[in-house]
Amino acid sequence: MSKQQTEVPYGTLDLLILKTLEAMGTMHGYAIARRIEQVWGAAMQLSQGSVYPALIRLQQEGWVRTDWGISETNRKVKFYSLTAAGRKQLRVEVANWEKATALVARFLEASS
Amino acid sequence: MTLRRGVGRLVALTCKRRLDRELEDEILAHLELAERDAVARGISPEEARRTARRSFGGIEQVKEEHRDDRSFRWIETLLRDFRHGLASVRRSPGFSAVVVGVLALGIGANVAMFSVVDAVLLKPLPFAEPDRMVGVWEAPRPGIVNATSAPDFLDWKRLATVFEALSAEQSISAALTGRGEPTRLSGKLVTADYFRVFATRTQLGRTFTPEEDRPGAAPVIVLSHAAWQNHFGGDADILQRRPVLDGEAHQVIGVLAPGAFDRDETRFWKPLIFTPDQRSLKVHWLTVYGRLRGGATLTQARERMQAIHAALTEDASSEDREAAIAIEPLARLLVGAGLQRSISVAFGAVAMVLLIACANVANLLLAKGATRRRELAVRAALGAGRCRLVGQLLTENLVLCLLGGMAGIAVADLLIRVAIPMLSESIPFTAAVTLDFRVLAFAGAIAVAVALLAGTLPAMQTAFGNLAESLNRSARGSSGAHSGMRRAIVIGEVALSLVLVSGALLLLRSLLKLQGLDTGVRVENVITMSVDLPIGAYRTPQQAALFYQAVAERLQTAPGIAQVGISTALPLQWIGNGEAMKVAGLEKLVRVRFKRVDPGYFRALGIPLLAGRGITSRDLHGAPRVVVINEALAARLADVAGLKDPVGKTVRVSCPGYVDRELFMPEVEIAGVIRNERVASPGYPDPPVVYVPLAQVPSPQVKLIVRTRAEAAAVMPAIREAVREIDSSLPLGDVATMEQVRERSLLGSSRPAWLIGTFAAIALLLTGIGLYGVVSHAVTQQRREIGIRMALGARASDVLSQVLWNALSMVAVGLAFGMLGAFGLTRVMKNLLFEISPLDPAALTVACVLMTLIGLLAGFLPAARAARVDPVTTLRDEG
Repeated sequence: MSKQQTEVPYGTLDLLILKTLEAMGTMHGYAIARRIEQVWGAAMQLSQGSVYPALIRLQQEGWVRTDWGISETNRKVKFYSLTAAGRKQLRVEVANWEKATALVARFLEASS
Repeated sequence: MTLRRGVGRLVALTCKRRLDRELEDEILAHLELAERDAVARGISPEEARRTARRSFGGIEQVKEEHRDDRSFRWIETLLRDFRHGLASVRRSPGFSAVVVGVLALGIGANVAMFSVVDAVLLKPLPFAEPDRMVGVWEAPRPGIVNATSAPDFLDWKRLATVFEALSAEQSISAALTGRGEPTRLSGKLVTADYFRVFATRTQLGRTFTPEEDRPGAAPVIVLSHAAWQNHFGGDADILQRRPVLDGEAHQVIGVLAPGAFDRDETRFWKPLIFTPDQRSLKVHWLTVYGRLRGGATLTQARERMQAIHAALTEDASSEDREAAIAIEPLARLLVGAGLQRSISVAFGAVAMVLLIACANVANLLLAKGATRRRELAVRAALGAGRCRLVGQLLTENLVLCLLGGMAGIAVADLLIRVAIPMLSESIPFTAAVTLDFRVLAFAGAIAVAVALLAGTLPAMQTAFGNLAESLNRSARGSSGAHSGMRRAIVIGEVALSLVLVSGALLLLRSLLKLQGLDTGVRVENVITMSVDLPIGAYRTPQQAALFYQAVAERLQTAPGIAQVGISTALPLQWIGNGEAMKVAGLEKLVRVRFKRVDPGYFRALGIPLLAGRGITSRDLHGAPRVVVINEALAARLADVAGLKDPVGKTVRVSCPGYVDRELFMPEVEIAGVIRNERVASPGYPDPPVVYVPLAQVPSPQVKLIVRTRAEAAAVMPAIREAVREIDSSLPLGDVATMEQVRERSLLGSSRPAWLIGTFAAIALLLTGIGLYGVVSHAVTQQRREIGIRMALGARASDVLSQVLWNALSMVAVGLAFGMLGAFGLTRVMKNLLFEISPLDPAALTVACVLMTLIGLLAGFLPAARAARVDPVTTLRDEG
């Protein structure tokens, strides 16, 4: 693993998935992984497969709902979408994230 | 983790297979889509597949992570091991049945015993705030407690502010008539505060008001729930009924809620109304219970009562001042030291049975483990960690132990159903012995404890032994350390069994000694029953005397009856009535037991006369008063008063009145001396007894004693008929043969003996199985060696004796340790034995011989098998 390519920070993947679903509406696992990869670019290393453990977690929390649908390759797949609770959770997590980054930024400024 | 997620993860446990399949499908779809996109970007199909896989990451890793995230991994593992355990139970049904059977015996006996311990010793009494309930007694001398007199009780009630409520009671019985066959109901006369002391709720109506124990109050009763159900058919209008007790109609004012009193013999409670005479007479006849005020301690109560007693007896005689007042917690009064000791010893014995069962199971598991080493070695070679293997083995053992526990609960349920009705007389009515939640929790706890105790060692041994070696060798030879441990376990079993067996034999010998004691009376073909005359119908002592005379004469002529006697107390059941004898020239009174008998009594029970004459039909009301004394009293009189030949001497004896307990102390002539009859349970010394003619001092409560010519029970209808002819409304109670009376008097000794004997028998059986298992396993392991020795010329008898010697050597070492254990338990056993030393050589020798026989038996079967080993086949099989 090269130094420039950082791993996804722990817990961030959940936020990214929630945000993606909010922006794009209902989509299947592959589309979610691709979307995150595209937005993220090459800056971070993400195994596409790691969205699935995250998705079952979010589903058990009740933030993400699944429905069966047909993929572009004519396969039965799960489509994921945000629930009302998920929307609320996303707002909470975004707020937390901004607070944390603001704090870190202030600390870095003050120390330089 | 949120609650919702936790639930989600638990749910995921149940649909593991579906979730795995769905994930599999999702991953396949994902790879297909990625491949399609790559091809669309102009990459060759082959390269596209590789790219898709690369950007997906490790497929197996994702699956693992998915499983970890969606559910509790350790539960999944546990469940898998559990299923594996159940499967292996099914695979080896014989082995499992033996283990479960052994555990069912051990756990079942323990659970049943625990339910008794819990009910009698651990649970609080089934009354509100039972800690505040106490019994209050007079203690005329230190260590002796006496019933209370009415004036004392009334003084205490007036002065003792330390009690919230104080009640006095006396047991009675009454004939319930007007509902078919007259029946006798046990009841209690109680002062109005009684139900405040026992804090009992009613299901119907109310309990007594303070006015209801005052003179002139209308006759009312409170019924127990059981009495309401059994004698009145649960009649919903019972409060409007007026049942007739002893010829008088009583208003039922309340029915108690179901509970502890339903296990007591008391069926009804009636207000105790003191007569003016009773209020002033110093006759000790009341049992007093109190409920302490909230916050008052036992010590405070004792100090206060002592102060009250000192103030009340300031100007009394010196003998009265010597006395004190004893206060004991109700719980301690209900569970005496003897019962507590018996229960503790029995519980200790049954715990030993469980240990032996554990040892057996551990042994079986070790043997089983030996046969599974190859399987485990393969799994270890494939990467399973040692801890994982131990965990799996332990879980499998747990499956067996839980099955054993469940079977044990069934065994315990059976034991409780069979044994508790027999034990109910020995345990207090407050103890409800049931398989309740606490007992089930105990069963679960010991099942898990047994799994750990019996399973850990074999699991470690199996999983940590040199597994690689077992892959290399084809199972041959013996496994040294392994069999050493199994031998050690069996030796422990033998030692524990010896302790139990010798304990049981000691109790049995003690019981035989007690049974062999002369009761001083004829026991064969004697039947007894009690008669309580209702005071309403028999108002004067003369009426009662005439009735007794009529009954005795009528019965004497009935067919099949040899002799009839009437008395106020049966032999072996103690004489509750204590009186005083005044001898001329002796300042101190002689304390005597007081028994009233009719002319037939001594003949009916075959009690021989030693001097003078017995009581005759001429000793009637108005005739000169006479008494007969027993040997013990004659000896006492000779000792304290120098009365060498008491016959013909005149003394004074205090006598209770017929109903009102008015005491009088007439002059009487000692007419004769009889040989001692056993007054209390065998093993207790006989007290001095004075026998007074029933006709001269009648009592409304007596026992009929009938010696029959043939089988006693067959004559019962004739006896009932004879009594009915004289008084048709009179029920006969407590029908028992004299043999039963004697058996009952030995219950305190026979019950522990049978209980421990049963446990010892189970222990012997288990130890036999354990020995057999180890010897038999050793023979199987050494088949090759035996084959070689026989090929080299060893005779069958040599092989036989070698195997037997192997078994006996284990027994011998076990016996040595067991002897040490038996010596250690001397102190515990001493209190339970009658005229037998806890180190009685006969009992210990028999126990050792018994264990050796078991050892021979357990060793003989495998030894015979070893002697039949055919060297040719053995060597060819394993060569």
